[in-house]
Amino acid sequence: MNAAPAMSGPLFLDAGTGHGQRFCLYHAPVAVCRGAVLYLPPFGEEMNKSRRMAAMQARALAQRGYGVLQIDLYGCGDSSGEFADARWDTWLADAALGAAWLQAQLDQPLTLWGLRLGALLAIDFARRLPAPPQALLLWQPLLSGSQWLIQFLRLKMAAGMLDAAEADGGGTTTGMLRARLQAGETLEIAGYALAPALAAAIENLDAAALVLTGCPVHWIEVAARDDLPPAAAAVARSWRANGVALAVTVVSGPPFWATQDIGENPAVLRAGGAMFDAVAEALS
Amino acid sequence: MYLEEVRKIVGEVLGLGTRTAALQEDSALLGSLPELDSMGVVQLITALESHFGLTVNDDEIGADTFATLGTLARFVERKLT
Repeated sequence: MNAAPAMSGPLFLDAGTGHGQRFCLYHAPVAVCRGAVLYLPPFGEEMNKSRRMAAMQARALAQRGYGVLQIDLYGCGDSSGEFADARWDTWLADAALGAAWLQAQLDQPLTLWGLRLGALLAIDFARRLPAPPQALLLWQPLLSGSQWLIQFLRLKMAAGMLDAAEADGGGTTTGMLRARLQAGETLEIAGYALAPALAAAIENLDAAALVLTGCPVHWIEVAARDDLPPAAAAVARSWRANGVALAVTVVSGPPFWATQDIGENPAVLRAGGAMFDAVAEALS
Repeated sequence: MYLEEVRKIVGEVLGLGTRTAALQEDSALLGSLPELDSMGVVQLITALESHFGLTVNDDEIGADTFATLGTLARFVERKLT
């Protein structure tokens, strides 16, 4: 691959008085511009683990003529704010900020792309747009916000389990942690202060209910099997029944957002690139 | 038994690479694999839930569940039957 094209690089978007700045990484389109892409990252460690894959996909799309903006959401990465103050609505506003910047910069149709929790944010944001985006690329979308919350709370439970491996004890369940959130307590988990309001907003998200019609939706799932796992397949069936123009690609290889080492999964990148080629072909 | 599938998932999630094949039914996991920290435990539960389409309740898992590859595979088997 060629060196990063000119004008590509880090930048800060001003989120307005009192709202700080959002760190972004921009990949300028190489040659004729065919569209704009906004990438919405997953949360926490998953964001750190997946930075390389996101950058690799972004560069591949820039080579295809897309201008790609990777944005760090409020309270995450190198953007302003404390995570404890982050809210779902703030993140939706961040997505709007990124989309507006791309519009001003490129004046091209927008494709939204998100990984895990970022995929749910992408769909939620897309549904609020006056017109559907050109396409939606979902990498390993979370099936529900409560699934995300349980996985996050389990970090605290697992830490207790590791202690219990030495001395009998531990036994903090996610149910107990949820009760503390519901009672209004901000929980400190794996270095992140999770506010009850953010947890509640995320917990209410249900992928099956987030139906987006009017544009192609491409779901790329990494799995140790040939088809979508059962719970994911149920969401896909529900979307199709509600008129979502859904294409699903299941690939094998490492779950790069979760692996211990920074992982790469070329099959995911190929499938992502192929989606953009298919969308471009359908338009030509 | 689900030993083969569980071995594959443990190997992929924890990034064990060529060490995956050496995992036997009685191979110790928790406290033995440095990769299996709290993040690893969570990712492993998540991957098993997703792959087998099961729901794990916190009160049915503990350090025992992750003692060996065999205990983990038997946990999956119990959940699916």
